[in-house]
Amino acid sequence: MRHRYIVKKIQYSVWDFIKGAHDAWSGWVCVLLVGVVTGCVAGVMDIGASWMTDLKLGICPQAFWLNREQCCWSSNETTFDSGNCSQWYTWPEIMGHSREGGFAYFVSFFFYTLWALFFAALSASLVKMFAPYACGSGIPEIKTILSGFIIRGYLGKWTLIVKSVGLMLSVSAGLCLGKEGPMVHIASCIGNIFSYLFPKYGKNEAKKREILSAAAAAGVSVAFGAPIGGVLFSLEEVSYYFPLKTLWRSFFCALIAAFVIRSINPFGNEHSVLFYVKYNEPWILFDLVPALALGILGGAIGTVFIKGNLYWCRFRKFSKLGHYPVTEVLTVTLITAVISYPNPYTRLNMSQLIYLLFSQCGISNSDDLCDYNRNFTNVNSAVEIAAAGPGVYRAIWLLILAFIVYLILTIFTFGMKVPCGLFIPSLCLGAIMGRIVGIGMEQLAYNYPEVWIFADECSKGGNCINPGLYAMIGACAVLGGVTRMTISLIVIMFELTGGVRYIVLLMAAAMTSKWVGDALGRQGIYDAHIALNGYPFLGKEEFAHTTLAADVMQPKRNETLSVITQDSMTIDDIVNLLKETEHNGYPVVVSKESQYLVGFVLRRDLNLAIENAKRMIDGISVMSVVYFTSATPAQSLGPPPLMLKKILDMAPITVTDQTPMETVVDMFRKLGLRQTLVTHNGRLLGVITKKDVLRHIKQMDNEDPNTVLFN
Amino acid sequence: MWNKILIGIFIISMVETGLHVEAQYEDKRCKCICPSLSSVLNNTKETERMMVIENVPRLKCDCENVIMPRIADKIKGKEREFCPRCQCKFENRNTSIIKFVVILVIWVISLLVVYMLFLICLDPLLNKRVKANYQEHTNEEDDVTLSGVAGPSVHPMGARSNVLNRVGHQQDKWKRQVREQRKNIYDRHTMLN
Repeated sequence: MRHRYIVKKIQYSVWDFIKGAHDAWSGWVCVLLVGVVTGCVAGVMDIGASWMTDLKLGICPQAFWLNREQCCWSSNETTFDSGNCSQWYTWPEIMGHSREGGFAYFVSFFFYTLWALFFAALSASLVKMFAPYACGSGIPEIKTILSGFIIRGYLGKWTLIVKSVGLMLSVSAGLCLGKEGPMVHIASCIGNIFSYLFPKYGKNEAKKREILSAAAAAGVSVAFGAPIGGVLFSLEEVSYYFPLKTLWRSFFCALIAAFVIRSINPFGNEHSVLFYVKYNEPWILFDLVPALALGILGGAIGTVFIKGNLYWCRFRKFSKLGHYPVTEVLTVTLITAVISYPNPYTRLNMSQLIYLLFSQCGISNSDDLCDYNRNFTNVNSAVEIAAAGPGVYRAIWLLILAFIVYLILTIFTFGMKVPCGLFIPSLCLGAIMGRIVGIGMEQLAYNYPEVWIFADECSKGGNCINPGLYAMIGACAVLGGVTRMTISLIVIMFELTGGVRYIVLLMAAAMTSKWVGDALGRQGIYDAHIALNGYPFLGKEEFAHTTLAADVMQPKRNETLSVITQDSMTIDDIVNLLKETEHNGYPVVVSKESQYLVGFVLRRDLNLAIENAKRMIDGISVMSVVYFTSATPAQSLGPPPLMLKKILDMAPITVTDQTPMETVVDMFRKLGLRQTLVTHNGRLLGVITKKDVLRHIKQMDNEDPNTVLFN
Repeated sequence: MWNKILIGIFIISMVETGLHVEAQYEDKRCKCICPSLSSVLNNTKETERMMVIENVPRLKCDCENVIMPRIADKIKGKEREFCPRCQCKFENRNTSIIKFVVILVIWVISLLVVYMLFLICLDPLLNKRVKANYQEHTNEEDDVTLSGVAGPSVHPMGARSNVLNRVGHQQDKWKRQVREQRKNIYDRHTMLN
């Protein structure tokens, strides 16, 4: 309505024209600012996290702000080392010992654990002290907020600061978590804060959600370097209403954020993709079979993860463990650090491990994983297929161990009271699984080249099986199994890796993973957390039962309906009604006998209006009559009446009592209602609120209806 | 006022660190990795892979300009076999952004830690006198913030200025919010209010 008023006034004067133009492009300006700030914050977090991660291993004394890779950037040592160079001092060296040896190993183990505990303790105490809402992933709550529910303080500035700092610290502590989910929360906080600068968005909750959807898209865009994937993620997972205008805004926001982070260039490799891989070989048709197998495995692992994590989160919520959050974080960090240090693959940062698993073995990989019996004799050919050396088998065992460790640790880590996400751990698990399958296939192809599946494309000396590609497919499958995303997952995957050729394989794996996952357990991880926490979120599944509105409405058989009459209640009556009942709003009827509906009034507005009246109007007393009509009453004896027609909603949505619940649920979903009134033969019969609908759905699905919480 | 002082200290420290460090960390490099020479020559003793890092422009970042000058006398005629197997990559970074960001992060974390310690240790002592004069809103269950009517009543305190009153009032409101959030998350284990 404000918009229509402003547009109408454009012709009147130049000032009004400027105000009209400001109103029109304020949406774009707001989204531009959100994108820029999100890109900056993400760049700061990337650089900060990569610096602090390497702080566990050592320090660069001449330029303490550089991490290990940057410190050894221009070192001219012409031999390979494991990443160390003379300018980088590991902690044993700083303590005065040599770099190698058993004692040095223990000293570096000790310092690694110490730094990890320090970061984790700092993160947990900052969260506890300043902004308890900054814990967890944030995506389930953002989904609930975007579906219409308001959680006050969830998107505030303290939450923003603590979540950014806490995320950097948690990632650097070496815990099994990622930073993508919390990035969405951080971006939404930024969106919320900036929307207050523009009154068009700050005062209107529904319009603010457009900005929040766009901000969520920017969050994924900077977390992965995947702008289109971000928009699709916002469309598929996070947002509830996504009209075309929101699509445009999200597109723009993700674009700006990706541009800003590209110019900050946090990884120094000029690619905005995180795990840039460039495979030159096409895939053979037979690759589809392992891709489907990986999809099935991915769906299974995803379900196992979801069930395990839900069980542990439920345990944490209802037992004494929930009273010691900081201790829990410290214990998990200690266990993670102690277990991950000995295994060289778990000691690596998770993103680095994924990069290692995705990359093709070539001249520059000196890792055990690439210990093939290659001679590099023929200069002009590509890297050819070869028998695996002993290093590869060693690496496979270590990777299997890493897989089990990561799976168990992530189940315990996700949901702790520090900012945590789960995209990167899922990608990591899938990459390990895929790489092992890929190495198996490769050795099969090497040892049996005459078999029909390999005969055509795998002629001797050629290279047709690429284990890195299988790692990518495995990562896609497990992430799909955990979150049950489809299109956004594929787009994110090929934007992450640059491997556009392999879309068909990725799609096959993601589809299979989703089918298997849905067959084994209905909900993805975010929906499961929403159900666990009892948020009033109306899911998008179809309502398949045949109940009617009359079965669900309040009041039930033996209760009376609390109504307000339009001109015969006093302030005293209304205040008593507000005190005795706890409904969120009350229908207003013509009179108690006729029960003809006039409108609906909210508790909050009633409270405000009565308080204001007590202060502003002279002579008002508890015996003043409250009028919801527009006609001023003629009588002038007694205290002055209170005219409250302004706060009355005269167009509430109504249904009749015979409306099937399927239609009612659809209306709640599409119109974003909080309550609807039920009439019979034109007279008011009852009220259905969103809470009633949710309880009813749960009852129909044989779940516990008492777990739905509401304010 | 506090903000300006902090920003001033920050800028001074940045300038000082900038003066101390010599410019030995360049921002561009060309990184070439080649297999060991024993793959083309039969009688050489080197068996390690070779990695060379040099600062050359992007267009000159390839085998001929970077590797050949170093091993020209050893390779003698087999350059065309050796070069295709080398991988050369040109990389670019910005150390000043990294320095700025890391120092900013350290500052922010130290500020937060100092404030947290202040709140834990000193605040209860300082506020014992002040708390006696404030009425607190104990209605934490209420979702509604009545903007017109809210706020604890502020007794006129002759000695204190209005700014300090307002800061203290804001801080109390914030503390109340955090306490409520904490109650939600840690006691009732739900994010709803």
